[in-house]
Amino acid sequence: MTEPTAPADAAPSASRPPLWRDVRILRVAFQVAVVAVIALVLGTLVGNVRANSERLGIPTGFEYLDNPAQFPIPDSDFRQAQPVRDAIGEGLGNTLRVVLLGIVVSTVLGVLVGIGRLSGNWLVRTAARIYVEILRNVPLLLLIYFSYFALALTTFPRVADAWEPLGLALFSNRGVVVPWVDGGIAPLVIGGVVAIGAAVGISRWRTAVADRTGAPAHTARYALPAMVLVLSVAWLVSGLGASIPERDGNRVTGGIRMSPEYFAIFFALVIYTASHIAEIVRGSIQAVDRGQGEAASALALSGSQRLRYVVLPQAFRIAVPPIGNQYLNLSKNSTLGAVVGYFELARVTAISVGNGAPAVPSYLLLLAIFLVLSLVLSFGVNVVNRRLALVER
Amino acid sequence: MRRLRGAAAILAAGVLVLGACTGDDDDDDAGDTTTTEAPADDGGGDTGTDTGGGTGGGDGDTLAAVQDAGVLRCGTRDELPGFAVLDSAGEHVGFDADFCRVIAAAVLGDAEAVEFVDLETADRFTALQAGDIDVLVRNTTWTATRDGAEGATFLQPNFYDGQGMMVAADAGFGSLEDLAGQVVCVAGGTTTEGNVATEFSRRGLEIPEVLPFDSPDLLQVAFQEGRCDGWSSDLSQLTGLRSAYPDGPDSLVIFPDAFSKEPLAPAVADGDSQWAQVVNWAVLATIQAEEFGLTSENVDQVLAETTDPNIRQFLGEAGEDAVLDPGLGLPTDFAYQVVSQVGSYAEIYDEHITPLGLERGLNSLWTDGGMLYAPPYR
Amino acid sequence: MTTTLRAAPAATIRTWLRRNLFRNRVDGVVTVVSAAVIGTVLFRAARFVLVTGRWEVIEANLRLLMVGRFPTVHLPRVAVSLAVASLVGGFVAGIVHQRQVAAGTSVVAHLSVVARLADLVERFWPALLGAALLLSLTSTAGPWITVGGALAAGLVGRLVGARLPALTHPVVVVAAVVTPFALVAYLADAVGWDSWGGLMLNVYLAIASMILCFPLGVLAALGRRSTLPAVRWISTGYIELFRGAPLFVLLLMANVALGFFVPAGSAPGRVARAIVVFTLFTGAYMAEIVRGGLQSLPRGQAEAGRALGLSPTRVTFHIVLPQALRNVIPAQVGQLISLFKDTTLAGFAMGLFELGNISESITSQGPFRGQQLLPEVVAFVALLFWIGSYTMARESQRLERKLGVGRR
Repeated sequence: MTEPTAPADAAPSASRPPLWRDVRILRVAFQVAVVAVIALVLGTLVGNVRANSERLGIPTGFEYLDNPAQFPIPDSDFRQAQPVRDAIGEGLGNTLRVVLLGIVVSTVLGVLVGIGRLSGNWLVRTAARIYVEILRNVPLLLLIYFSYFALALTTFPRVADAWEPLGLALFSNRGVVVPWVDGGIAPLVIGGVVAIGAAVGISRWRTAVADRTGAPAHTARYALPAMVLVLSVAWLVSGLGASIPERDGNRVTGGIRMSPEYFAIFFALVIYTASHIAEIVRGSIQAVDRGQGEAASALALSGSQRLRYVVLPQAFRIAVPPIGNQYLNLSKNSTLGAVVGYFELARVTAISVGNGAPAVPSYLLLLAIFLVLSLVLSFGVNVVNRRLALVER
Repeated sequence: MRRLRGAAAILAAGVLVLGACTGDDDDDDAGDTTTTEAPADDGGGDTGTDTGGGTGGGDGDTLAAVQDAGVLRCGTRDELPGFAVLDSAGEHVGFDADFCRVIAAAVLGDAEAVEFVDLETADRFTALQAGDIDVLVRNTTWTATRDGAEGATFLQPNFYDGQGMMVAADAGFGSLEDLAGQVVCVAGGTTTEGNVATEFSRRGLEIPEVLPFDSPDLLQVAFQEGRCDGWSSDLSQLTGLRSAYPDGPDSLVIFPDAFSKEPLAPAVADGDSQWAQVVNWAVLATIQAEEFGLTSENVDQVLAETTDPNIRQFLGEAGEDAVLDPGLGLPTDFAYQVVSQVGSYAEIYDEHITPLGLERGLNSLWTDGGMLYAPPYR
Repeated sequence: MTTTLRAAPAATIRTWLRRNLFRNRVDGVVTVVSAAVIGTVLFRAARFVLVTGRWEVIEANLRLLMVGRFPTVHLPRVAVSLAVASLVGGFVAGIVHQRQVAAGTSVVAHLSVVARLADLVERFWPALLGAALLLSLTSTAGPWITVGGALAAGLVGRLVGARLPALTHPVVVVAAVVTPFALVAYLADAVGWDSWGGLMLNVYLAIASMILCFPLGVLAALGRRSTLPAVRWISTGYIELFRGAPLFVLLLMANVALGFFVPAGSAPGRVARAIVVFTLFTGAYMAEIVRGGLQSLPRGQAEAGRALGLSPTRVTFHIVLPQALRNVIPAQVGQLISLFKDTTLAGFAMGLFELGNISESITSQGPFRGQQLLPEVVAFVALLFWIGSYTMARESQRLERKLGVGRR
């Protein structure tokens, strides 16, 4: 007795696919297989590291961090008897000095060059274009090499013939020394924070006045003198002197020094990253709808007003993610300072490995620090990005 | 059915990718085994090919692997006058290069069966650790940390050196004290960095700023430009570099006092004591040969004529007596091969170091008041 | 009262200056200051290149810079490889031209031969100038033969390729894919690639990593968007790990620490290690770029594919990926240009004898020692890299325009 169609309440097991074709089981099985393979590979690698380290008698833990470093770090108070962890701290400090200052200066330069590429002035436009086209296509390593050996070491004069403008600063191939405050940086930092707070307060006040009365705000005219005043008060109150660099034979004492190695890596990084940022800025300005610029012109805004009030704010919204990427690249490119002997983190690690620290834990630590640094930078860029993002209704 | 195929496709692609990764190594090994040509080929075979033999991993493995491969991989350098440089034909010549040949002559019976691997300073010990080289003969100082944490075993020092300081002749520095608080350039990643600071604090002087450079060429550029006032390194290195200085050796002054102990010795990787002994006795053979008065020229004659049983035993020739095999793993005539193919310690020193102007000093035999003392071969 | 409209005054130098350089007072000041600064820089650069630069060091070491310590006896293999690569490249160009003409999308088909040559020159002038410079510095016949052979082979390939019947096109494509591997094997047969050097090594590292990183990047991007959590986590982990790590540090690690991860003595040679690191690193960046391309695609495309009954795999490989990849071509080429420039890091991190590292050892050779010739050598090497990168960048812009990226 056959029926042409099976009734709807036929045995339920007949409608379930067999195990080897069931998608749910296949998905789980595939993932289990992938995880197993990865675990196997990682397990083999870790096992090999252990076996090789045992064979050579090299430790695999992080105890080496307490050993004395046995190498000096130029341009700092680090003594070679201090433990390796202090050396790593110094290296990280050096890296941050390059990265943070480099981000600021390269952004400024990059924005200027990017805007210059769209300038009406033919000379500026062509010069910016040549600058970008040359520097974007040259390896950064060669730029660093060049800035050290062709600029910092040879073009700058020797110490004996150092250039001393106004008797205040000193330019030589042993570094650039400028006057600095005596006795520490803490009062300056506090003064700086107060000054920034004052500037913010003043800008709020002037904006409120402008909104109320319609008179121009002139924030800068009020804020800048106020900041200078606050900083001078901080300087006087803490009784700080100034230290002026002085030269005695080959030695230079006083002031704050930027070593030629720092100059080389800083200069090369800044002009290189600025060329990339310039391209991003140019692209983002051109991506802003032309109608915006035309409307601004129709409202009789001048060229710079059009840029400042209409085009640039919209352009920055587009530009922030790629510029954030360039900041990450800059932080990673700072490791190239090792090539010219700038003691940033990668060089400190490489030298400590050369002096007996175990290779695998040292480099894993270095990678971990850079991952954290990248995460922090991306987080900062994301915060800015979110604040600038368009609120879509 | 479609999903199965999709899953299978992704799985297959993943396996392919993983296979490609391991395939890299296979391709590379295939590529490497075709490069075991004679090393004297425009220096073409010198940069780190491994000849497919696994080394290290336990007693007896390295010696067997080297003998199987038929070539000794010796880690050295290519730009230190007197110790290891490339001549115009691309051959390695120098004191350390000759000691590589000594070890090859002892182990393989052929002094030219050496593959010279030029290493940067930073790569010296990692190459040993990874098994890229069998022995490191690269004017490397024997220290406690390198014995321990670097996983190396150091052998009979072939050069007892000290660290010195070199300055420009017209800079006005008369002695080490004048450099207090100045700037000193050193070769990075070596013992010299730490020694400068240690020495100055030992003398109670202000520690100078120490600048490490990765290569002697860049160091020389910086020194010439006046970036640093002093150049500190092993005295043997300084002498060699001064002799090749472009402005002439007289434009530089090396201070006579040495301020650290720098015993330069060949090194092998930890974990294979048989290989360490083999290399050790190969080096000791040159010292013992000098003590016996043997040279590459007279060794055949001496062997034919001498009645001294010590010399006959040493050269592995005993006549009616039994030949001595101390069980090191070396052929019984290894000393003969070393002396006849390369030479005694005196010959090697005179050919490479004496032209630089360095006296034997500590590097003489113990009978002449120096430090070279070979244990008896019996 | 009638107003007559006058034609704009004829463009003279004066009007051009007024309009472009001296629009108003501020502009005038800017022009003067910039002219002073730029003039000084240009003067010093010109003086360096033409007067004070001592370029003998380049002339004497041209072979080292181009092929490193490759044995002279095997150099004909390099010339042969270049010619074969040129020939196959010409075939492919000819086939592409044929198809474009058939599809009506060719931009040069209507031009005369002279105009086409002019177009080629305009596209590749940096490379042509560079080749002319190199040939002018050399004193032996070898380089002339190499360059001439490559050009002739390319020309022959192009002419023949444009006339090949359509049936042979797949054969040519397969040949083009196989050729790089065959040439590498051919050259490695003479001298293992651990002994290669100079520009040849940089190009080899770049091309090998480019070819290998592409499938890796696509797979990782697809994996990151997968619905299977394990696959997604692993892909994300790989991508974030290699994007956060500096390439220089990875190369240092490969040089120093890799020996620990493999059984003793079996660590791969340095060139292989460098290629693996470059591939993994660029693969992670490629994955992000491809992911951006996948996200830029409207979801309707994939949904339409599913509605047509195609399996997810078919939807991905036939509908989604082609469009996504085409959208991100500029970003991909930018990444490849970065890869080419980053091959210099392999020299400094791993001691490979590539172009940047050679600059250092050239300046320490006997007759050139201690004469501070580093600026000259570095400038020359930078020029070589600039030619390669600039040509690639312009070609990518041209491709972008032709494919109409961003305009559909």
